[in-house]
Amino acid sequence: MFDIIGKRFWYFLISGAIILIGVISLAVFGLPSGIEFSSGSILTVKFVEEVGKGDLEGELTGLGYGNALVQQTQPAGSFLIRTQRLTEEEGDQLQADLNAAFGAFDGEPSSQDVSEMIASETRTNAIIAVAIAALGILLYVTWAFRRMPRPFHYGTCAIVALVHDALVVMGIFSIIGAILNWEINLMFITGILAVIGYSVNNTVVVFDRIRENLTRGISADFETIVNNSLVETLSRSVNTSLTTFIVVLALLLFVGANIQNFVIVLIIGILAGTFSSICIAPSLLVVWDNKEWGRFLFWRKPAPAKA
Amino acid sequence: MSRTNIIVLALILVIFVLGLWVLIPLEAERFGRSDLRKGLDLVGGVHLVYQADFENIEPEDQPAVMERALIIIQNRIDKYGVLEPIIQQLGDDRILVQLPGFTDIDAAKSLVEQTGYLEFREVELNGGQPATLNDYLEQTDLQFIDASEPDERIFVRTNELGENETVALLKYKDGAYYFEDPAGNTVAADSLSAYAASVSWIRARGDDGTPLTGDLLADAYLSTGQQSQIQVAIEWDDVGSIIFDQLALRLHDPAGQNGPYKLEHVLGIFLDNTLLSAPKVNSAKFEGEGVITGSFTLAEAEELANLLKSGALPMPLVQPPLFEEKVSATLGAQFIEMSWLAGLIGIILVMVFMVAYYRLPGLVSAVALVFYGVLMLALFKLIPVTLSLAGIGGFIVSIGMAVDANVLIFERLKEELRSGRTLGAAIETGFKRAWSAIWDSNVTTIIVCIILYWLGSSIVASAPVMGFALTLGIGVVVSMFTAIVVTRTLLRILIHSGMVRHLALFSISRGKQ
Repeated sequence: MFDIIGKRFWYFLISGAIILIGVISLAVFGLPSGIEFSSGSILTVKFVEEVGKGDLEGELTGLGYGNALVQQTQPAGSFLIRTQRLTEEEGDQLQADLNAAFGAFDGEPSSQDVSEMIASETRTNAIIAVAIAALGILLYVTWAFRRMPRPFHYGTCAIVALVHDALVVMGIFSIIGAILNWEINLMFITGILAVIGYSVNNTVVVFDRIRENLTRGISADFETIVNNSLVETLSRSVNTSLTTFIVVLALLLFVGANIQNFVIVLIIGILAGTFSSICIAPSLLVVWDNKEWGRFLFWRKPAPAKA
Repeated sequence: MSRTNIIVLALILVIFVLGLWVLIPLEAERFGRSDLRKGLDLVGGVHLVYQADFENIEPEDQPAVMERALIIIQNRIDKYGVLEPIIQQLGDDRILVQLPGFTDIDAAKSLVEQTGYLEFREVELNGGQPATLNDYLEQTDLQFIDASEPDERIFVRTNELGENETVALLKYKDGAYYFEDPAGNTVAADSLSAYAASVSWIRARGDDGTPLTGDLLADAYLSTGQQSQIQVAIEWDDVGSIIFDQLALRLHDPAGQNGPYKLEHVLGIFLDNTLLSAPKVNSAKFEGEGVITGSFTLAEAEELANLLKSGALPMPLVQPPLFEEKVSATLGAQFIEMSWLAGLIGIILVMVFMVAYYRLPGLVSAVALVFYGVLMLALFKLIPVTLSLAGIGGFIVSIGMAVDANVLIFERLKEELRSGRTLGAAIETGFKRAWSAIWDSNVTTIIVCIILYWLGSSIVASAPVMGFALTLGIGVVVSMFTAIVVTRTLLRILIHSGMVRHLALFSISRGKQ
């Protein structure tokens, strides 16, 4: 039988490191908001001739759009140019200038333009949605763990796992965003909420098995019960994540475009969620049960195993 | 093989065949729906959201004004032949316009935004003759010639191309008369001397002073006269009928159709101070209906009818639009291909994985997945669900999640088999034990989908969010059905029929313990 729980402090270390890097990135780069949240214009173009991202950025700076963000997107060779809100004339002028510099567009460009009024409503509603989702998940966790021996322990650990996933996703996204000029949009929020829902139910399945094994009384040692439950549910946890991962990967490779951010969020989220429901949430339960908190602070050797 | 299983299997087959029939061919009309409805990001098109300016409109009139504005915009767009345009009220004071497949955003905007003010005018008379700009320029003390008409004059000339051209307006405000050019700039009188022959037009009013405006028109449409000449038929509403007849009585040409074209017998149709057409009034009584004849081409007549009908918006729209989006149609077509490919690759890989890992049950779940896919697409067509890129994304993600229920069941099944149960017993306990986990794990996804759907519906720019939430939500519900009903029934039948005895098919290598 694998000993998953025994290596619990390694998991905390790994997660801690990833989250730390992510939080630093968040503090330095932040999560820049897209036009849906802060108003502005996006022009998506593809040129007949191949154009380098650097050349495009240089040209835009020359045209007075030094603060424009350029993102490569699907289909291959397409660029997404994000600027402050442009008037109709400015938009037409920009397209004409780009044509003058790089030749004709391959197909018609796409564009999007969001006013400040819409952007502020979107911000408000997104915050409300996240708050309601958090409340809904909290209620659900309370309800799902009502049968557990210590509902508070289980619920808290599930929520820590969920916050863990959200932090990992935001942190890594912030790093990717800083490199690829990505901004967060509504689909990013959608992705985060989907990941949270996904992560919680993975944790619930594992915890449900712990509860079942506790009632069956397969061992007197809580750590052993948790470990056995984990091993029993391991192939389920991994396989479900794998099938979802496969389809999301197919999405990333073939679709991308305006759901690119969203697909990346799902990919990071599925990995983080799988890790947290197998490694973090159950480990926390054991740490709590063994009252091992001191080891976090002093990094002491684990106490000799219980009988 | 129990009778229940047979009945359920038959039912599954019926649903499957029905699903296929609904789907194939996609274009065929089934239960009144044809084709999958594709979002703007897949077919290309224009998406605009406008804020109505209700500053000058009483709150109690606003709903009616909104309704009228929507009809007018609909009329304007209909003439462009856009397939399935969406013109909707958002909230109390916003208008959403979606034009699938129509990618000329500038044309779309000017179509919606035109603030055209439609009114009818007659020629001002100066001693029985049409008054001209010259008559005004010769005045030493500038004032309206026909003192009974207090509103502005519009001076129209026929330019070198034979078109009507508005030269200037004469306005009276705060005790002073002044000329304006058509753009609204004040101009000096002497700069207009080149256009002295321009004719002065005044508002056409009924006997009680009500001006005849586009609001009073009930309908305008293209028709053909007795000599199959092209003409525009117009119908007035109740008030319009009365005023129009009062005007007709005054303006009509006693010589009728055969009389010479004289300006004192015509009614000018003005849109935004531009003379569109100046038909001669041939009858003294119309009783609400009339035709405008002239040497129209078909297109000209059609345009005139449309302008008459669509007229002016009853309130201005705030500029620029709150939200505008244009998706290129070629890009959309590429996305459709790519997302089908992604879905196909995803579903095949998931099937391969399930069969490789779970053997026979995996094969059953692969069959169930085909059933799932067909049922989902059939539902998308029937409901109908507008498939955006994100919606397809939700569907594809749901494929991955759909097997989750199967995975839960099969893992239980393996455990039950290892603990020594017979196949039949293991399947029943496996399903029973897995159920609570299946339910639990789907509830969170459903909660999230509901919240996301609300978020999507509350936000102007959020079609993707709604699409994702809807397809994923439907997917979760349908996947529970396929896992519980389809997979279980197929497995039961396989086992009870005695076709399957080897535990190796369930990837249990050690056999019974």
